[in-house]
Amino acid sequence: MKFDRAVRRKIFSHGMTVASGLAIVAIMVPLASVIYEAIVQGGSVFNLAFFTQGIPYPCSPRAGVVCQQGGIEPAIQGTFILVGLASLYSVPLGVGAAIFAVEYGSERGIARIIGMAADVLAGVPSIVVGAFIYALVLLYDPAIVFSTISGSLALAVIMVPIVTRTTEEALRTVPNSVREAALALGISRWKTSVRIVLVSALPGVLTGVLLAVARAAGEAAPLLLVCNGLRSFSGFNNVVAAVPIMMFTFATTPYQNWINLAWGGALFLLVLILGLSLASRYVLNRMARRMRGG
Amino acid sequence: MALADGAAKLTVQNLSAFYGGTRAIEDINLEIPDRKVTAIIGPSGCGKSTLIRCLNRMHETTPKARVEGRVLLDGEDLYRLDATLVRRRVGMVFQKPNPFATMSIYNNVTAPLRFNGRPSREVMDQAVIRSLKHAALWDEVKDRIDAAATSLSGGQQQRLCIARALAADPEVLLMDEPCSALDPIATAKIEELIRQLKTDYTQVIVTHNMQQAARVSDYTAFLYLGKLVEFGPTEDLFERPKERLTESYITGRFG
Amino acid sequence: MNEDPLADTGVPRGYDLQVRHLKDRAVKMGNWALAMVHDGWRAYDQGDLAAAQTVLDRDTQLDRFDEDMEHAAIAFLVLRQPTAVDLRTAAGLLKSTTHLDRIGRLGFDMARITTPGAGTEPSELKSLLQRMDEIVESMVRQAIDALDRDQAELARQLFLRDDSIDRMHREANQMILEGLGKDPSSNRRLAGDLLVARHFERIADNACKVGEKTIYALTGQRRSEYLPRHPFRPYMLETPRKPAGDGDPR
Repeated sequence: MKFDRAVRRKIFSHGMTVASGLAIVAIMVPLASVIYEAIVQGGSVFNLAFFTQGIPYPCSPRAGVVCQQGGIEPAIQGTFILVGLASLYSVPLGVGAAIFAVEYGSERGIARIIGMAADVLAGVPSIVVGAFIYALVLLYDPAIVFSTISGSLALAVIMVPIVTRTTEEALRTVPNSVREAALALGISRWKTSVRIVLVSALPGVLTGVLLAVARAAGEAAPLLLVCNGLRSFSGFNNVVAAVPIMMFTFATTPYQNWINLAWGGALFLLVLILGLSLASRYVLNRMARRMRGG
Repeated sequence: MALADGAAKLTVQNLSAFYGGTRAIEDINLEIPDRKVTAIIGPSGCGKSTLIRCLNRMHETTPKARVEGRVLLDGEDLYRLDATLVRRRVGMVFQKPNPFATMSIYNNVTAPLRFNGRPSREVMDQAVIRSLKHAALWDEVKDRIDAAATSLSGGQQQRLCIARALAADPEVLLMDEPCSALDPIATAKIEELIRQLKTDYTQVIVTHNMQQAARVSDYTAFLYLGKLVEFGPTEDLFERPKERLTESYITGRFG
Repeated sequence: MNEDPLADTGVPRGYDLQVRHLKDRAVKMGNWALAMVHDGWRAYDQGDLAAAQTVLDRDTQLDRFDEDMEHAAIAFLVLRQPTAVDLRTAAGLLKSTTHLDRIGRLGFDMARITTPGAGTEPSELKSLLQRMDEIVESMVRQAIDALDRDQAELARQLFLRDDSIDRMHREANQMILEGLGKDPSSNRRLAGDLLVARHFERIADNACKVGEKTIYALTGQRRSEYLPRHPFRPYMLETPRKPAGDGDPR
C-alpha cells in the first residue's frame, strides 16, 4: 500500500515536470519563429538606407527594371513624434494619478477606483480607443480629426493605464518608513510624495514608462483610424507616417520592395521592444543597486 | 499631574486618540518638563506609541485616525497650528532606523534643510558638522560623508536619524523605542547621547525596557490599557511607586 | 490582557521565592544573634566561663551568616534588577544584616567580660539588668518576626519599647554611679554592669533599626517620615533617684 503511493507520487511529480517543460517549449516556439522570420525576411533591408531614405516608388523586380529599396525614414520619424507626444501627455497624467491614488487616496477608496479604472482602460481594444479619439476630436474641431494630434492622443490613452499601474506598484513598494521619516522632519505631504517617495521609486516608474513606450510604438489600430498616412511630419494638424501603419499598408501590396520594407519594419519594432525591455531591466538593476548603496 | 520643578514644555490635556472607532488612549493629562527626559513605559498595546505620535501630530497620518483633547507646546495648542510646522519643532526618531536609502549621509542630514528651504552650501555644511557632532557620529563618518547612508551599521544609522532630526532644529525630540533594533553597545551609545542632549532639548522616549527607562529618564509615565496610571520622578516611581498597578508592572508581576 | 493584573495567581514566581530565601537567611542569622545575646547575658550574670566560651565560639558562624547574606542580596540585586518593593526589601535586608551582626557581637561582648564567681548575690541592679535582658530579647524576637512575616505594625511597636529601655538604662547608670564609691571590691562587677547596661541599650537600638528597614521595605517610608526627633538628654547626669515603682522620671 505505502509502496504504491510513493511510486505514484514520484511518477506524478516527474510527469508534471515534463509537462511544464513542454509548455515552456510550446510558448517559446512561436516567439522564436516570429523572431526568426523577421530576421530572415527583414534582415536584408536593415541598413543605413532603411533609416535615412524616404519611401520609394512601389515596384517589383522585373526584367529591365531596377527597384529602389529606399527606406522608411518618414515612418520612423513619425513614430518617434507620435510616441514622444503621447508620452508628454500620458506620463505626467499617469504618474500624477498614481501618486494621488497611493499617497492621498488610500483612505477614501480612491486608490481602488483609480486602479480599477486603469485596469479597465488597459483592457479596452485599441481600435475602440481610436474610435473614441475620433469622436472626441470631431466634437472639438472636425478639421483635425485625422492628424498627428489625434494620433498622439490615441496613443496617450493607451499608455496612461500602463504608466499608472506600474507607477502605483512602484510607489507601493516604497516602505512606509520613508514617508514617516520625511513627514516627521516637517516636510510637507506633497513634497514627501513627489520629491522623496517618487524619487525612491524612480526605477520602477521608469520601467513602466519604457514599457508603455514599447507598447505605443507598436500600435496600429488606433492610428489606422485617426492618423493613417505615409508622409513625413508636416504639422500637428496633418497626419504623419508611423511604422505599424507603414507595415500594414505595404504588406498588403504586391510590390516586392514595399513588402521588404514591411518586414524591415517588423524587425525594427521587435528590436525596439526587445531593446526597451532590456533597457528597462538594466535601468532597474543599475539604479536600484546604486540607490541601495552599492 | 503637575510638576514640582521647572516649566512644562508640553502639556497634554484630556487627550484621547482613536483609530476609527477604537480608542487607543483615554483622557490623558500630562506635563512634559522642559529639558528633561521623560520616559513612557507600559505593556504592549497600552497606547504609548499612540501617545507619543500625538505629540508631533504623526498619529493623524494613519488613515481614519483622530484625536480629542489638546496638546500645548509652550502654551500653544499644537492642533491649531500647521501640522508641518509642528513637526519641525517636535522631531521624531523611530524604532527601526530609517535613513533615506537613496541619499548619502550628507544628504540625509541636510534633508530637512533642503526640503524646507534653499540653504546655501555653507549653511548645509555647518549644519552637517553640528548635527553629526551632536549625535556623536561625526568622528565615525567625517571621512565618508558622501557615502550611502545604508553603508552604516544599525547603530550608526540610528544616530544618523537622530542627527537628521536635530538638523531640523527642533525644540523637542521624541523617540519611539529607539534602541529596540540595536545591540547593547549601540544602545549604550544612544543612551549616552540622550544624556548629553538634555542640555538643549526636551526628550520623550517610549521604551518597553524598564531598566532603560530607569537609566535614562528623569521622569517616567506609566500607561496601562490607554490610561495614565502614574507619573512622577523616575527614582520615586521605581523605588516607591504610588499605585499598586505600577508596582505590579515594574516588579514584573504582570506584563 | 484579560486577567486582572493585580490578582494573585497563587503560583509563586521564582522571583518571589528568591526574596523569601533572602528573608529566611536573615531570620536564621537573627535567631543566631539572639541566642548569642541570651547565652551571653546568662554567662555574665552567673559568672559561668564555660558558657561564655560557647558564645565566643559562635562568632565565626555569625561572620559567615553576614557574608552569606551580603552575597545573596547583591546577587539578587545584580541578577534580578529589582524595583519597588523587591528593591527595598533587598536593600533593607542588606543593611539589616549589619544590625543583626551587631546584636550578635554585643552578646559576644557580654560573654567576653564574664568574670567567674562574681556578682551572684541578688540585688536591685541585678534584677533591673535581668528585666532589661528580657525586654531586649523580646524586642529582637519581635524585629525578626516582623521581618519574617511582613508586619509593619509589629515593627512600629518596637519604638515604644525602645523608650522604656532608655529609661531603664538611665536608671541602671544611676545605680552604678552610686555604687561605685562604696565598696572597692564590687567595682569590677559594677564596671561590667555599666558595659552590659549599655550593650542592652545598643541591642534594643539595633533591633529598632531592623524594624525600620522592615517598615521601609513594606511602605517605602524612612524613619524621619514617621518618628519625631527625640530630644536627647545626657546619660550621666547626677539626678536624685526615685524609689522603684514610681512613675517615669523623664
